[in-house]
Amino acid sequence: MRFVTGPTPPPHDRIKPVKDSRKSTSLAGIWFGLTMLVMAYGFYQAMVAPKEATMGNLYRVFFYHFPHTILSFIFPYINCVASLLFIFWRQSKPELAAKADAWAVASAEITVVYSTVGLATGMLWGRAAWGIWWAWDARLTTYLLLWLLYVSYMMLRSFAAGGQTAMVASVLGVFAAIDVPICYMSIHWWRTQHPAPVFGGGDGSGIDKSMASAVLWNVAAFLMWGIFILGWRYALERRRQHQDNLATEAMLRGDIGSENA
Amino acid sequence: MIPFSTLSERHLVYAYLVVWILQFGYAGWLAVQWKKTPRD
Repeated sequence: MRFVTGPTPPPHDRIKPVKDSRKSTSLAGIWFGLTMLVMAYGFYQAMVAPKEATMGNLYRVFFYHFPHTILSFIFPYINCVASLLFIFWRQSKPELAAKADAWAVASAEITVVYSTVGLATGMLWGRAAWGIWWAWDARLTTYLLLWLLYVSYMMLRSFAAGGQTAMVASVLGVFAAIDVPICYMSIHWWRTQHPAPVFGGGDGSGIDKSMASAVLWNVAAFLMWGIFILGWRYALERRRQHQDNLATEAMLRGDIGSENA
Repeated sequence: MIPFSTLSERHLVYAYLVVWILQFGYAGWLAVQWKKTPRD
């Protein structure tokens, strides 16, 4: 007797073919169209908002920097919840665990995209406003750590071999989310190079009414965009899981077939 | 005409370009992967 020595079948070994119904495709198309409209209007608002008193036009970076940074604090929580659900369901409900794992992968990747934008726009703004690209202050350092944590999560997903990759990545995802509140609160707790919070920062914080609509439209635009690419990335991951499952089944069938022959 | 003469103006343009390149570049990569991954 010969034992089958292939890779451990993934926990999502009973997943069904992915259904890309015409209804969900049309819904995605409508959502994409609306997102483009809101994004275009947000850009228009960002350009017509009045100049800022000290920074002039340069402050318009804020209209893109702020939504990306705030949203990069939200996607890690989707990853954290999905990772926890994967850990809880991996034995008892493998199909639900596979869906949770797909949400975890999708949200981690979107976190990397949004935090990369947050870092890049912040550095470009910092160089022009402060004269330096980078400062090792609390906000910037904890934000860089956030980016590194989710890049390492994605590298783990891409390069690790074996059947435990999803489990190890889930544990990393749960712990990585701990950096989010530390990073968010860093500008409340410590007074360093990064400016104090614009919203909710106490006396003297806030933004002029004439600039507020540009902030809100761009937050809405990049939130809608984030939902769109998150859903698309999730659907892609479900397709990949299905393909991996088919490949594993074919390999196992092949081994059994050669044994009989 | 896009103002591009001072460092501040250039960095403002770069910041907006970075956002569009990264976001639409990522969406383009998703589209390629979507095409390459069979449904069934």
